[in-house]
Amino acid sequence: MNPPDLLARCLGYLPQLLDGAITTLWLSAIAVACGFFAGIFIYMMSASKSRMLATAARVYVSLFRGTPVLAQLLVFYYVPSGLGWAIPGVVAAAVGLSMNTAAYQSQILGAGFRAIPRGQIEAAQTFNLTRRQALWHVEIPQVIALTLPALVSEMIDIVKASAVVSVIAVTDLMRVGQQLSSVSYRPLEVYTLAACFYLAITSLLSLAGRGIERRVARRT
Amino acid sequence: MNSFLSLIPRFADAILVTLEVSLLAAFIGALGGFVLNALRLRFPRWLAAPYRVYVWLVRGTPYLSQLVIVYFGLPVIGITMTAVQATIVSLAFYSAAYFAEIFRAGWASIPRGHGEAARAFGISRWAAFRSIEMPQAIAFAIPLLANQTILVIKESAVASIITVPELTMTASDIVSSTYTYIAPYAMLIVCYWLLTQCIALAAQWAQVLIAPSRKTS
Repeated sequence: MNPPDLLARCLGYLPQLLDGAITTLWLSAIAVACGFFAGIFIYMMSASKSRMLATAARVYVSLFRGTPVLAQLLVFYYVPSGLGWAIPGVVAAAVGLSMNTAAYQSQILGAGFRAIPRGQIEAAQTFNLTRRQALWHVEIPQVIALTLPALVSEMIDIVKASAVVSVIAVTDLMRVGQQLSSVSYRPLEVYTLAACFYLAITSLLSLAGRGIERRVARRT
Repeated sequence: MNSFLSLIPRFADAILVTLEVSLLAAFIGALGGFVLNALRLRFPRWLAAPYRVYVWLVRGTPYLSQLVIVYFGLPVIGITMTAVQATIVSLAFYSAAYFAEIFRAGWASIPRGHGEAARAFGISRWAAFRSIEMPQAIAFAIPLLANQTILVIKESAVASIITVPELTMTASDIVSSTYTYIAPYAMLIVCYWLLTQCIALAAQWAQVLIAPSRKTS
């Protein structure tokens, strides 16, 4: 195992791993974005006056937080196909990851919503803002600013959790690593390289998060 | 309903495998994290940098990628393990980083004055660590420790990929041999949910037990 060979081989793996990393990135981005809106919706349900809606939200959050992502993905992928309604792995992965992060994001955003003084909502009503306007223009911008560190760490968690979509036939970073390792018979270097890709993505996300946080802190 | 009942024996076995693997890994991980944090506190100058790198590596990569490096990668350099061993080793290595950070937060929650007071009274460093800092830090950390144990149980599902016969692997086996989908997967979700709820309840109970001693101290 001499170093120049190793380097040449690693360079050879790069294009495919990069493809996989792009799949991982957009899948995580879709999940985080959908999960954000679904998370707001679930929080609204849990905060509503209707007992039934609140209980439904609680059950949802408890189920998704109390079980592994892998088990959830298997359900989303195999149960529809078992009922004769086969869906592609990518769709099952996007839906599963979105619904998973929605449960976590509803908890994160809920803490942000509760931190907003009631007076602001009353003031918005006094200024004749509709409830929806108050929500999108008064509450949500503040909620995002307040919960940004937690949202960034949830993003990082979703990038890492997305590695298990390799099991339901999505060619993400992990899956590309498995394919390369079964072709090259060099699992140690391939998997280490794939891990480096994950490390780069999560490190960049946390750096970006810290940068934005500093900017938000300066503005307020 | 009948199909559910017939699944119970196999799932009961599988729950035991999941519990055995994840609780053993969590225990080793917690012990490792505790020692790591203690060493970091004792030798801040030497260990601060390596500790940060370790935490960065473990928390920056998915557990699955750590597992495949241990199970498929390490044999290349002559370290071969069974699937169960690889799972326990990698899961302990993974969770130790998180546990160490939890203990770090526990120690950070102790007011500085306590250490200074102990030194003023001539209490040795070890005695202060053991009887002043540790009880407070652990009482602070109980909910976080329980949460981390739940995370370890959930991560252990990934071991099904390297054919450890735990819950997820068992459900997939039943699905592929019987072509029924709903019952095994529903059972799978129920089993994990019950496991994690039990840990959460146990943690609440442990906190109630510890709370009185916390007030008097």
